[in-house]
Amino acid sequence: MTSELSRQEADRHRPKGGLRSIISRPEIGPIGVMLLLFGMLGYFSIPAAETTWNPFAGEGFNALGIRNNLRVISQLGIIALGAGLLIIAGEFDLSIGSMIGFAGACMAMTLRWGFSIILPYLSFEGGAHLEFYTLLHIPDVSPSLAIFITLCFTLTFGWIQGFIIVRSGLPSFIVTLGGLFFLRGLTEVSLRSFNHRPDQSKGATTVTEIPDLKNVINLPGHGEMEREAAKYLPEADLISIVKGLPADTITEITERLEYTFQRVAEAKTDLMVAKGVKPLERALENALESNNEFMVKTIQDKIANFKIDPVVPKSVTEVDIARAYIDTISTVQPIADFFGGNILESLFDWLYFPIDWNTNNFGNQFAPGLYSCVMIWVILSLVCYIVLSKTQVGNWIYSTGGNLSAAQANGVPTNKVKISLFVFSAFCATLFATCQVFEVNTSDAAKGNLKELEAIAAAVIGGIVMTGGFGTVLGIIVGAFIFGLAKEAFFYIPGIDGSFYRVFLGFVIIASALLNENIRKRIMGNI
Amino acid sequence: MVDASSQPLIETQNLVKKFGSFTALNGVSLKVFPGEVHALLGDNGAGKSTLIKALSGVHQPTSGKIFVEGKETRFNSPRDASGVGIGTVYQDLALNSLTSVTRNFFLGREMKFGKGPFGILKMKEMHEIAINEMAKIGIKIEDPEQPVGTMSGGQRQTLAIARAIYFGAKVLILDEPTSALGQLQQMEVLKTIKKVQQLGHIAIILITHNEIHARLIADRYTFISLGEVIGSGTSKDLESDDIRRLMAGGAKVGDLAKELA
Ligand SMILES: Nc1ncnc2c1ncn2[C@@H]1O[C@H](COP(=O)(O)OP(=O)(O)O)[C@@H](O)[C@H]1O
Ligand SMILES: [Mg+2]
Repeated sequence: MTSELSRQEADRHRPKGGLRSIISRPEIGPIGVMLLLFGMLGYFSIPAAETTWNPFAGEGFNALGIRNNLRVISQLGIIALGAGLLIIAGEFDLSIGSMIGFAGACMAMTLRWGFSIILPYLSFEGGAHLEFYTLLHIPDVSPSLAIFITLCFTLTFGWIQGFIIVRSGLPSFIVTLGGLFFLRGLTEVSLRSFNHRPDQSKGATTVTEIPDLKNVINLPGHGEMEREAAKYLPEADLISIVKGLPADTITEITERLEYTFQRVAEAKTDLMVAKGVKPLERALENALESNNEFMVKTIQDKIANFKIDPVVPKSVTEVDIARAYIDTISTVQPIADFFGGNILESLFDWLYFPIDWNTNNFGNQFAPGLYSCVMIWVILSLVCYIVLSKTQVGNWIYSTGGNLSAAQANGVPTNKVKISLFVFSAFCATLFATCQVFEVNTSDAAKGNLKELEAIAAAVIGGIVMTGGFGTVLGIIVGAFIFGLAKEAFFYIPGIDGSFYRVFLGFVIIASALLNENIRKRIMGNI
Repeated sequence: MVDASSQPLIETQNLVKKFGSFTALNGVSLKVFPGEVHALLGDNGAGKSTLIKALSGVHQPTSGKIFVEGKETRFNSPRDASGVGIGTVYQDLALNSLTSVTRNFFLGREMKFGKGPFGILKMKEMHEIAINEMAKIGIKIEDPEQPVGTMSGGQRQTLAIARAIYFGAKVLILDEPTSALGQLQQMEVLKTIKKVQQLGHIAIILITHNEIHARLIADRYTFISLGEVIGSGTSKDLESDDIRRLMAGGAKVGDLAKELA
């Protein structure tokens, strides 16, 4: 056989080089858009008075900006993972938003009013009428029990939707559209009926006045109470708390407070110097421009002799010690704190001390860290990444969406895969709601409205193909970033209506879908 | 070629399959030997696909017997059939174009660390096996991560065949493997089939419309028309005229020529 004849089809396949394989990765476009939005957000949010080109000096990246932006992004990211994996398996879920509202209401109601199972039955004593038998009544529901009860409802509902879809062969669009209306209605109806209770305004579709569970502490001598309430106990009580503390605890807290107050004082002094010198410098510029030598000299003298009395650090009182001690007591509701609390508090303390915008006179941070939902998103993303690209189930998900009959012919349990992903989507919606309820301690029947479409949009922007079989977890993460960043970035662009972010996203969604389709066709060998 | 006295790997006796009042197969008997390519020829609608569906467990025959390695067997599902070593490569090949060669090769039977569906894939090992198994039947793949959609039709056939063999197929059933391919790729697939034949222990049932292809690699022929066997034999028994006549459904070519004139 000649060498020419031994040439095979495989020889026509161009081997992937390092750079080429990076450029041909489907996430590269979305990552570019994400970086652009990062730059826009940073640059446009630089305060007008500042003269810097460093985007990280912008308000979008200060402590509060990072805290709020990452919250929006991670909340969306959580449901986008559920939506995205489901789309990869060839189905999708329009009930996510309503599921968020339902889960939030379910959790808030059980936390506020408890949980009962009541069986109605027909009684004939004294004429036929309905009687109710209380099978189970739990008046005080803990956060973990509330989450468990909610999951029982939401996961079952997800399972039922999936079961109907795989058994009937109906499009998931119709079935989950039904789920969207069903759940939203059910949420409103249940909230209104439970709010007939005298302690809520009648017929409201909200639950309020849930205690701030993540900040409930057990204060010695006072029992369980909210942290803020504890800090503002009568001063005599606070002082008596300090009396009961061991000496080394008091010393330690005192030293820490002295250090903090010192930092506050220094920061304040710096601020005053800056505020005093800045106008002089501006005046000097003017004087230089107008060539007024006398003025230049006078102002230069003034700047050189500018003095300000350093701010005297506040002295540490026993009340300060008591409040600082109350801050160190850990919560009696770690589950509520896990979902609704803060993370990276000490990192924020170290990174962002400037007295001006993130620290008050007591050295407390306005932005005390990141919301816990960021951590939940990171964990969930990692798990999804491993499952989708490294495990057997991952291959099953891809093949279920990529070629259903091929998957079935090879023994992949495609129905189980699909139903599990509907359950997972409901799980993600429940996680979203859990974080929200424990963050704000309220719930509202309207929560989660339109979130299903945002989740699907984030997935599409991140390179998920609507027909299934194609996409990555990295893409879904990037999609959530783009969606969350766009809103903030456009808000800061001067002289532009903030709603332009929707126009921009609409454009990005269509462009991404076109790009994804193009990549899919190339892989299918149609280009 | 194995001598005909050895035991057939798979054999049917008087297989009948009725769909309601319609008789799709009316008493079909055939024997397939290891290391042989058995060409199944016949017009559209003759019943070839019905026959192989009965052999691969998709259809249950109305009457008649199927023997695998001499033992009478009944298949209630495709799983039963693949369990005793009958691997069928259908026309759509059961491949997912969007994922890689390796992911397709092991689809549904992935190698993994740990038990349960959340076991981590042994990607490196699977890459090696996929490449080696395909190389054994004559196709070299550079990149096991290559999406199947970017492979040629011939390469895809090879992938499906290599997969069936690796997972224990002793009888390989190929339903018109060349019909949707271009000339060059048809040759590639024929070379692949030849390689499988040379392995010696696998019996191949090849359904084709193409007389030339059949004559290039078949050791034995069965001609089916209207659900019945109208002729069979080894390549030595049959003259090419016979083959042509039988392919035309049993009508004498001479008669046909007259009719057409
Ligand atoms: N499931 C079925 N129900 C009814 N008739 C069928 C079914 N499958 C095949 N047939 C009929 O059986 C005959 C043989 O079909 P088939 O085996 O597909 O032919 P071939 O593969 O040789 O072209 C055809 O007339 C076809 O219409
Ligand atoms: Mg056929």
